[in-house]
Amino acid sequence: MAECVRVDSSTSTHTMDKSITLPPDEIFRNLENAKRFAIDIGGSLTKLAYYSTVQHKVAKVRSFEFSYTPPNDKLYEISVQEEVTARLHFIKFENAYIETCLDFIKDHLVNTETKVIKATGGGAHKFKELIERKLGLKVDKEDEMTCLIKGCNFVLRNIPHEAFVYAKHADSEFRFQTTHPDIFPYLLVNIGSGVSIVKVESEDKFERIGGSSIGGGTFWGLGALLTKTKRFDELLQLASKGQHTSVDMLVKDIYGGSYGSLGLTGDLIASSFGKSATADKEFSKEDMAKSLLHMISNDIGQLACLYAKLHNLSRVYFGGFFIRGHPVTMHTITYSINFFTKGEVQALFLRHEGYLGAIGAFLKGAEEDNPNQYSWGENYAGSSGLMSVSPDMNPMQRARSGTFDMLEMDRLERQLVNLPLLQDPSSYIPDTVDLTEDALAREYWLYCFEEALDGVVKRAVASQPDIPEATERAEKFRQKYRHKLQTLRHQPFAYGSLTVRSLLDTREHCLNEFNFPDPYSKIKQRENDVALKYYQKAVKSLEELSWEQRQFALVRGVLAGNLTPSVPCEQRPWLVDSYDQWLERLKGPPHKCALFFVDNSGVDIILGVMPFVRELLSRGTEVVLASNSGPALNDVTNGELQILTERIAAMDPVIQAGLREDRLTLVQSGSSSPCLDLSRLDKVLAMVVRERQTDLVIIEGMGRAIHTNYYAMLSCESLKMAVIKNSWLADRLGGKLFSVVFKYEVPAGKPSQDSAALTPS
Amino acid sequence: MLLSSTVDSTSTHTMDKSITLPPDEIFRNLENAKRFAIDIGGSLTKLAYYSTVQHKVAKVRSFDVLFVSVSQEAASDKLYEISVQEEVTARLHFIKFENAYIETCLDFIKDHLVNTETKVIKATGGGAHKFKELIERKLGLKVDKEDEMTCLIKGCNFVLRNIPHEAFVYAKHADSEFRFQTTHPDIFPYLLVNIGSGVSIVKVESEDKFERIGGSSIGGGTFWGLGALLTKTKRFDELLQLASKGQHTSVDMLVKDIYGGSYGSLGLTGDLIASSFGKSATADKEFSKEDMAKSLLHMISNDIGQLACLYAKLHNLSRVYFGGFFIRGHPVTMHTITYSINFFTKGEVQALFLRHEGYLGAIGAFLKGAEEDNPNQYSWGENYAGSSGLMSVSPDMNPMQRARSGTFDMLEMDRLERQLVNLPLLQDPSSYIPDTVDLTEDALAREYWLYCFEEALDGVVKRAVASQPDIPEATERAEKFRQKYRHKLQTLRHQPL
Repeated sequence: MAECVRVDSSTSTHTMDKSITLPPDEIFRNLENAKRFAIDIGGSLTKLAYYSTVQHKVAKVRSFEFSYTPPNDKLYEISVQEEVTARLHFIKFENAYIETCLDFIKDHLVNTETKVIKATGGGAHKFKELIERKLGLKVDKEDEMTCLIKGCNFVLRNIPHEAFVYAKHADSEFRFQTTHPDIFPYLLVNIGSGVSIVKVESEDKFERIGGSSIGGGTFWGLGALLTKTKRFDELLQLASKGQHTSVDMLVKDIYGGSYGSLGLTGDLIASSFGKSATADKEFSKEDMAKSLLHMISNDIGQLACLYAKLHNLSRVYFGGFFIRGHPVTMHTITYSINFFTKGEVQALFLRHEGYLGAIGAFLKGAEEDNPNQYSWGENYAGSSGLMSVSPDMNPMQRARSGTFDMLEMDRLERQLVNLPLLQDPSSYIPDTVDLTEDALAREYWLYCFEEALDGVVKRAVASQPDIPEATERAEKFRQKYRHKLQTLRHQPFAYGSLTVRSLLDTREHCLNEFNFPDPYSKIKQRENDVALKYYQKAVKSLEELSWEQRQFALVRGVLAGNLTPSVPCEQRPWLVDSYDQWLERLKGPPHKCALFFVDNSGVDIILGVMPFVRELLSRGTEVVLASNSGPALNDVTNGELQILTERIAAMDPVIQAGLREDRLTLVQSGSSSPCLDLSRLDKVLAMVVRERQTDLVIIEGMGRAIHTNYYAMLSCESLKMAVIKNSWLADRLGGKLFSVVFKYEVPAGKPSQDSAALTPS
Repeated sequence: MLLSSTVDSTSTHTMDKSITLPPDEIFRNLENAKRFAIDIGGSLTKLAYYSTVQHKVAKVRSFDVLFVSVSQEAASDKLYEISVQEEVTARLHFIKFENAYIETCLDFIKDHLVNTETKVIKATGGGAHKFKELIERKLGLKVDKEDEMTCLIKGCNFVLRNIPHEAFVYAKHADSEFRFQTTHPDIFPYLLVNIGSGVSIVKVESEDKFERIGGSSIGGGTFWGLGALLTKTKRFDELLQLASKGQHTSVDMLVKDIYGGSYGSLGLTGDLIASSFGKSATADKEFSKEDMAKSLLHMISNDIGQLACLYAKLHNLSRVYFGGFFIRGHPVTMHTITYSINFFTKGEVQALFLRHEGYLGAIGAFLKGAEEDNPNQYSWGENYAGSSGLMSVSPDMNPMQRARSGTFDMLEMDRLERQLVNLPLLQDPSSYIPDTVDLTEDALAREYWLYCFEEALDGVVKRAVASQPDIPEATERAEKFRQKYRHKLQTLRHQPL
C-alpha cells in the first residue's frame, strides 16, 4: 500500500494545541508571493508545498561607455539589482498543528489568483472540509501513488546526494550516492501500512508490480497486540533494545549448529517466533518487538530482491513511514537486502522521502509551468537537512519531533547537465575528500570555516559601505551560518555528503539569503583594474622568450596568478609534475578546442589565463572560457569576464581576432560556487563543447582542480593546475604549503602522446 | 527451514505404553523385514522397511505337442495346464504413528524381527537425535543419520515417479475436494516448498540435483508461535481450528478501509488485505482469538504463496509442490495456500499437494539405505490392500478425522516385475488419462459403480472359492477378502479420494 494510512504514532491522543508559538515567518517564508499550493496529509505528518517568487539582490557589472572617461580609472561599474527567482517551499509539521498553520497561511496570503489546492495522502479527505473553509481554496485530490512517483523522480533528478546507503557500523551513518544521469528504471518499495512495490520506467510510466500485506501496519498492529504498546515510535524503541534470539528459532536451535549442506549458518532465523510455539514462558516486550521487526524487514527485503531480480532492476529505493528517518528499520532492511542479494543490490533511502507526495502533488498542479524543464537546486540556507534520528547518535532528535522541517528549492536560471567529456558520468564524484566519512578532515574544515567567518562578515559589511543596516544583516548571516556549521558538526550528512564544496556553497546561500550577493565585488574590481594595466607588458615579455621558455613561463603565470604575489612559485619537480609530458604534447599538433574553467579575478585571469589562452589561439586551438554564472568569493564571473575580455581585445590583436573569428568563446558554467561540479553545468556550455569537438579541458585553481575534480576522469586530454594554499590539504596530498599540482592526463587508449606520469618524479 | 523442529501437538501427553494395537496388521511381514529407516518429526514417526512377500500366483503351461498327440482324450481337450505357485516379491512398508507410541512400536519390532543381517537403521528428521539412544538400545541397530533435505527430495521423486495420482490440487468449493494430477512422464524440474517451522524452497532438477534456492522464517512455527502468544492456545491443531472459524476482516486493514473502495488505478480490489493486523494498530478494542488466528493464517499463507510464485517465475518452474507440517492433511492451510498461489500467479501456477507427503523423509531415508538394491531401477505400485489411503481431514466433511489421529497409517508398495513406461505412440503422454469416467468428480456415477461392485461381490467370492476346489480353507480366505473389499468400498463411499 501507499503511505496512506493513519500513521499516527505520537500525537493521536494529544489534543490540538492551538496556542503553540511558532516563528511562522521563519517557516512559511515568502507567503506573500505564494502561488500554487499542494498538501500531503499522512497519518501523523502534514507536508505543505507552495511556489513563490523571491526577490533578491544580485550584483551586476556594466562596462562604462568608451567615449566616457571613467572616474577613478575604474574599468566597469558595479550595481546591485533586484532579481526575481522562483522558489519551491516544502514544510513538514505534525497534523496537530494543521489548524494553526492554515490560519497563519490565510492571514498572510496576499495573492488571490490561487483557487485550488492539490491534496494527496490518506488524511486528505479527513481535513478536506477544514482546508476549504480556512483557506477558501478548492481541495483537488490527486492520486497518491502518482504523486509519490512524480516526487521521487523530481528529487532524484534535482538533488545531488538525494539517495543514500545506510551503514550502521560504518564511520558515517549515511553514504550518499552520486546522481546517476539517467535515474530510470528503478524500484520503489513503499512501506506504509502494507507494502507497495513499484517499478518506475520513465517520468510517466510506472507499475505496481507487487506488494505485501506484511508492512508497517503489521509491525504496529501485531506489536500493539503483543506488547500492549500502542505507539509506533515506542515499538521501534522496544525493538531496538530486544534480543530476537530468545523468541526466534535459529538454525542452530534445530541442528545444533549450521546446516552446512544447504549453506545455512547457525545464527540464521529458521522460524520467526518459533520458540514461542512450545516454550512455556513469558517473553519480554523488547524481544518480541525485535523478533517482529526482523520478521517483517526480512520478508520485505526478500520480496524486494525477488522483484528486482525478476525485472532486472538494480536500484531499489525504500520509503514510507516504516522507513522514514528510522535508523532501526533502515538498518534491518539494509541487512536483509545484503543478505538476500549477497551484496548485488543496495538498499537506497532518500533524504527527502517524506516530501515525495507533497512534491508530486505540487508538480501535478504546476504542470502548466513545466517545472521539469528547469533544473532546481536545494537551498541550503532554507532547508533543515537530514537529521540523524538514531537516539544514541543524536540526543537532539527527540526534541526535534514536534517542530517543523523545511526544504526549499531554487529554480536555477538554466538547465544543468553533465559535461559531455566525463569518462563515466555515473561514477563521477566531484569532491576529492568526503568529510562525512573522514572525521579528522571534517573537524579540520569545520574549524577552518568557523575561523574564517569573522573575515567573511567583515568583507560583507565592507561590500555595502553605504547601507547602514548592512552590519545588522551581516550579523544575522553570521548566526545562521554558524548554526549551520554546528548542525553539520553533529549531523555531517544533513545535506548529503559533507564536502568543502558544500561548506562553501552553504556559505554562499546564506550570504545571498541576507542580501550579500557579492561581497568581493569591489575587491575584484580593484584587482582587475590593476592587473589590466600590466597586461601588455606581460605579453611583450613573454613574446621575447624562446618557445620552450615561453611555455614554461605561461604555466608559471597561471600558477602565480593563483598565488599571493609575495610567495615564490615552488621549484620543480612539483608535487604533481607532468610538465614534461605536457611540453612534449605541445610540440605535436595543436588541439582542436580547449575548454578552460577559470578561477580568480585580477592577476589570475588577466596575467595568467589570458596569455595562456593567447598562446593556444596562436597555435590554432579554439578556446572556450567557462566562468561562473553567479559570484562566489573573488572568482571572476561571466559578466565580469565579458568586460575584461573586451578590454584586452582592445589591446591585443590576437584576442581580438579570436573573438571576431569566433575562435574564442565565453560561456557561463551555470554555477555560483567556488568549486566545480562537472555533472551540473549549463546546457549551453555542454552544447558548445560538443559542437567544437573539444579535446582538451583545463581546470585551474584549488577549488576546481583540488577540492573537486582532482580525481575526475575525462574522455579527452586534461590539464589541472593549482597551488595548494592550505597546509592541511597539502599534507594530505603528501606535499607542503604552496606545493604545485600540474596534472596532465591523457585517457587510456587515446592515440595521443605518452600517458602522463602522475606521481612526483 | 525443514519440517524438522519440534512440531508436537502431543508433547505434553505422557507416553501411553498400554495402548492396544493390532500390531501384526500394521507391521506386516516383519519376519522378512530387511532394511529399516525411520523419520522422526516433531509429532509423528515414520518407519520404513523392506520385506519379501510370498504369495501365490497362477501359472499356465502349454502341454507338450508330442504328448498331445498321444493322449488327446486324457487331457480332456484342454489347451494348457493351470498351476498355482509360490512367488516371492519385494514390498516396501511405510508406517506412520505418533511419537507417543514409539517405544511400544520398537518393542514390538524387536520381538518380531527374525532377520539378523540388518545392522543399521537409517534415520532422519529433527527428532532423530532425540530418540537415537532409545532406538539403538531397543533394536540393537546402529542409527545412521541421513541428511534431511536429501531424504525429503529422494522420497518426493520416488512417490511422484511411482504413484499415479500422487499429486493433487485442492479446491475447497469444488464438487470434489481433491483433483488428482496425472503423472507427468518427466517429473523434473519442480519446486518443493516445504513449510515446517520455517520455509524451505527447493528447486529439484534431477534425481540427484536439487538446490535450496530460497526460504523464509515466516512458516508454520511462526503461525504456531505468534498464534500461541496472541490466543494463549498452545496446540497447533487448535490454532487451525480457531482460524477456520475467524473473520480476518476485523483485524486486517483492507484496501477499502483506506480508500473507501477499490484503488482502481493500481488494480487493487477493495477486499484485498492492505495491511495484516493493520486494524489492531490503532483500534482500542479486544480482538477475538478466532479472528486473530485467521488473520495470522492468511498473512503467513499469502506470504509463502507470493514467495513460492516469485521463485517459480524466477526459475521458470510451473510445478510447485507444497509440504511440511503446516500443510500436511490440513484443508485450512491447503485452501489458503491454494488461494494465495491463484491470486499471485493469476492461475498460471497451481499449488500441488502430495498424498504421501508425510512419508517423503522416511521413503528417502530408506532409499538412501537401499541404494545398493537400486530401487529406482524398478517400478513400484501402491498396494491398495495394505495402504490406508488419504483421509479427508476437513472436520465438517469427515467426522472420522479426529478419531483417526492417534492411530496408525500405512503405505505399502510392491515391486513390479518389470519397469513400466509410456506407450511410445501416445500423442501427448503428459495429458493422457486412461480412465474414461473419473468417479471422484462425478457423484452419480460414483454411486452407481460403488453399488455395482458391492452387488457383484457375492459372485466374485463364489468364483474365488470355486477356483480353488481342492483347498479347504479357501472359503475362509474368500470371506476375509469379502470383508476387506467391502470395507474398502465403504471407505471409498465416504472418501472417494
